[in-house]
Amino acid sequence: MQRFRTRSRFMFSSLALLLLCCAMLTNSKSNARSLDDIVESGTIRIAVYNDYPPFSFLEENEAKGIDIDIANEIARALEVTLELVWMTPGETTEDDFRNYLWKGHIIHRIKADVMMRAPNDRSFSQKRDDVGLLVNELVHMFAPYHRESWQIIHNTKTLPEVETMGMFQYHTIGAEIDSIPHFYLTSAFGGRLREKTSHYATNALAFDAMKIGEIEAVMGLRSQISYLSQFVDSSQFKLAANAFPLIGKQKWDIGLAVHNDYRALSYEVGDVITALVIDGKMQAIFDKYSTVYEMPPYYQ
Amino acid sequence: MNNKMPIKKIALSMLVCASTFTPVHAVVTDKDIQNDQATTDDVVTYGMGLKAQRYSPLSAINKDTVEEVRPVWAFSLGGEKQRGQESQPLIKDGVMYVTGSYSRVWAIDARTGEELWQYEARLPDGIMPCCDVINRGVALYDNLVLFGTLDAKLVALDKDTGKTVWKKKVEDYRAGYAITAAPIVVDGKVITGISGGEFGIVGKVYAYDAKSGKQLWVRPTVEGHMGYIWKDGKKVENGISGGAPGKTWPADLWKTGGAATWLGGTYDVDTGLLFFGTGNPAPWNSHLRPGDNYFSSSRLAIDPNTGKIVWHFQTTPHDGWDFDGVNELISFDYTENGKTVKAAATADRNGFFYVLNRENGDFIRGFPFVDKLSWASGLDKKGRPIYIEDNRPGSPVDGKQGSQVVARPAFLGGKNWMPMAYSQDTELFYVPSNEWEMDIWNEPTSYKKGAAYLGAGFTIKSVNEDYIGVLKAIDPKTGETVWRYNNYSPLWGGVLTTGGGLVWTGNPEGYLMAFDDKTGEVVYKFQTGSGIVGSPVTWEMDGEQYISVLSGWGGAVPLWGGKSPSALSTSTKAERFGPLNYLSVISKLRKTKA
Repeated sequence: MQRFRTRSRFMFSSLALLLLCCAMLTNSKSNARSLDDIVESGTIRIAVYNDYPPFSFLEENEAKGIDIDIANEIARALEVTLELVWMTPGETTEDDFRNYLWKGHIIHRIKADVMMRAPNDRSFSQKRDDVGLLVNELVHMFAPYHRESWQIIHNTKTLPEVETMGMFQYHTIGAEIDSIPHFYLTSAFGGRLREKTSHYATNALAFDAMKIGEIEAVMGLRSQISYLSQFVDSSQFKLAANAFPLIGKQKWDIGLAVHNDYRALSYEVGDVITALVIDGKMQAIFDKYSTVYEMPPYYQ
Repeated sequence: MNNKMPIKKIALSMLVCASTFTPVHAVVTDKDIQNDQATTDDVVTYGMGLKAQRYSPLSAINKDTVEEVRPVWAFSLGGEKQRGQESQPLIKDGVMYVTGSYSRVWAIDARTGEELWQYEARLPDGIMPCCDVINRGVALYDNLVLFGTLDAKLVALDKDTGKTVWKKKVEDYRAGYAITAAPIVVDGKVITGISGGEFGIVGKVYAYDAKSGKQLWVRPTVEGHMGYIWKDGKKVENGISGGAPGKTWPADLWKTGGAATWLGGTYDVDTGLLFFGTGNPAPWNSHLRPGDNYFSSSRLAIDPNTGKIVWHFQTTPHDGWDFDGVNELISFDYTENGKTVKAAATADRNGFFYVLNRENGDFIRGFPFVDKLSWASGLDKKGRPIYIEDNRPGSPVDGKQGSQVVARPAFLGGKNWMPMAYSQDTELFYVPSNEWEMDIWNEPTSYKKGAAYLGAGFTIKSVNEDYIGVLKAIDPKTGETVWRYNNYSPLWGGVLTTGGGLVWTGNPEGYLMAFDDKTGEVVYKFQTGSGIVGSPVTWEMDGEQYISVLSGWGGAVPLWGGKSPSALSTSTKAERFGPLNYLSVISKLRKTKA
């Protein structure tokens, strides 16, 4: 908690700075901008999620994470300075698009030029509403940079192997609240895993509970679980290789998004991401955070 | 009263007169608050009385004189922060206290419309309110103006200067908490509820000493959580809500639970009870949490002195439609077989109107107040809905993908937050309702924080070509709809009724409207320039009756409708009245002297 507080204080001060700049430069600061405007201003604003390891987080007031490293690569390639816009997530990604790409933040109205961790899924980007209009028509999603999946880590002392999900009728497991693993564990298989399931505010807290033996396993995003596994004893806690029957989405791709008006920006940034993926730099960035990397099929 | 006397047209000279008036600097006492409904020269409570009947005995403005009503002044809330204005003004000693979007408060000279002071809460960047940056109003006590902020703080301002006297963090906004409802003051205690998203919050009711801001008690509204009371400055355990955890929840889901008290509460002096509504259980999908899930979607009677739950009545046990039944419970008495029944009524998001015995929470009767319900075939003897299980949205994982249910009313409710009114003259409730339905299906292509998120898709649709909103006059003794007024756009503003035989409300088209309380005939209309989602009030000043309402389109409807009007296919007209300008409109009418 204490750490969190320090982080947010930094956030607020950097925000205050941002706001100050905003007041001085009015228009150019609050709008998502074209590639030309970005290059001319010498700064690119990239939106990353708040407190979201291993992708974007503050450690002793320093921005760290996979998304931060990628954002720096983008800024370097465009020969501009990187300015981070920290996002507080809404209930869905559509809320984040609204708040950070096309309408602006509810308080200071600042928009980002590029948003990290946008889904790269045709059925999502082409989703239509009840009258046939594109739901996300104001946003262009592009440049998938990694493939995400689900992962279980378990305490081998009490649960040596996770052969199937059926094990969790008898062994305890934790998940982050309001996430797919949480829904899955409390409702799949007629609710038979429900009684053995506990929920936590974050995966990191679920890990803490596993370390002290409160639960025997944690299910979450593969990237987060693999990242967190470096901080626990690897002889006792092991990543499982089980399948997740009944989950509609077993794997999905994560990419970037820009306002739909700025396609040229997306082509330029897309080239940067392609180069990172092809020459293995993306893999190296994930390795740096001990996070499992899988290349999106787009590049194969 | 003599209603036949000719009414003079409003002249400018009256405004000049008014400006020379010296205000009396009296403080608001417990007695002022308890008598608010009877005293017509002020409005010192949200709801125009702690019971929140929104009834005023004033009759100078009546069916015969209403056409004489003219605007006196308008006040722009101005700036960049023009969003939905769901507030109700309060008036004391010729000063109006009103809140606006982004947790702002103004004191305005009620005679001239001149700003006396403005308070702007410095909101942190990380707030994430679910349904627009609204606020519903202040409470007044002693020399204080009390209100809650979007970053979940309770603030007390000096009523003359607007300076902060005390400020308390009620909850941590970073965990998803916020306050949008007006607090209420009962015997020197300021009492507030809390809002929160689906991030695993627990609903609670909080009491503080109004003058000092010291916490007195806190009561969680989810079964299994410990309540606390402060004795001699010490926090003491005060009983677990519902007795023990897990009785009506599976596994550890009670630990989060939801049941937010986001609409605040009412109070009844006869029984000495506070009445708070609670929202939907979390997580949203009912298949994750078999059981009744106490005390979600309920009305709770709470003792203001001890913070203990005296009784509860659950409108939607095991809520599976997001019927977030937080609606206000309004106390009223009626006579049946020569006996006075101490009743209370609530019109729930789920489409049923309930009449309860307010002494013990017993169900007296209930009936639909919307034209059609799809999810229940009726209520049983105890008021529990008789579910139509086919209409329950499916399990997110085991459910067949692509299977869809059409549920009515939609999750925004037969009646949402907008408060209804009860007339002591007609003994009718005037209920602002909406006729819409929703498609719900499991949606594997929804995303949250970049991760695939197994959500449900909701599409709200109107069910009639020519209207969504319906203002209904409902007889709580019979369930009969005495009259109805169909409105093209959804109704989202509060209702007021008066001794002048009028019912007042605003619509998203921008009109402040008055209806004949017996027939529903529209007897007055005034275009305010933006959609109305606030609650009108009336009071008497310098021998004249005034009406005031905030105008300013916003709130949940345009937000859930998103950037395109598609979510409310036929309400596109309302979108046209989007954020233009926000005014407080006041009309006044000379009180006829008998």
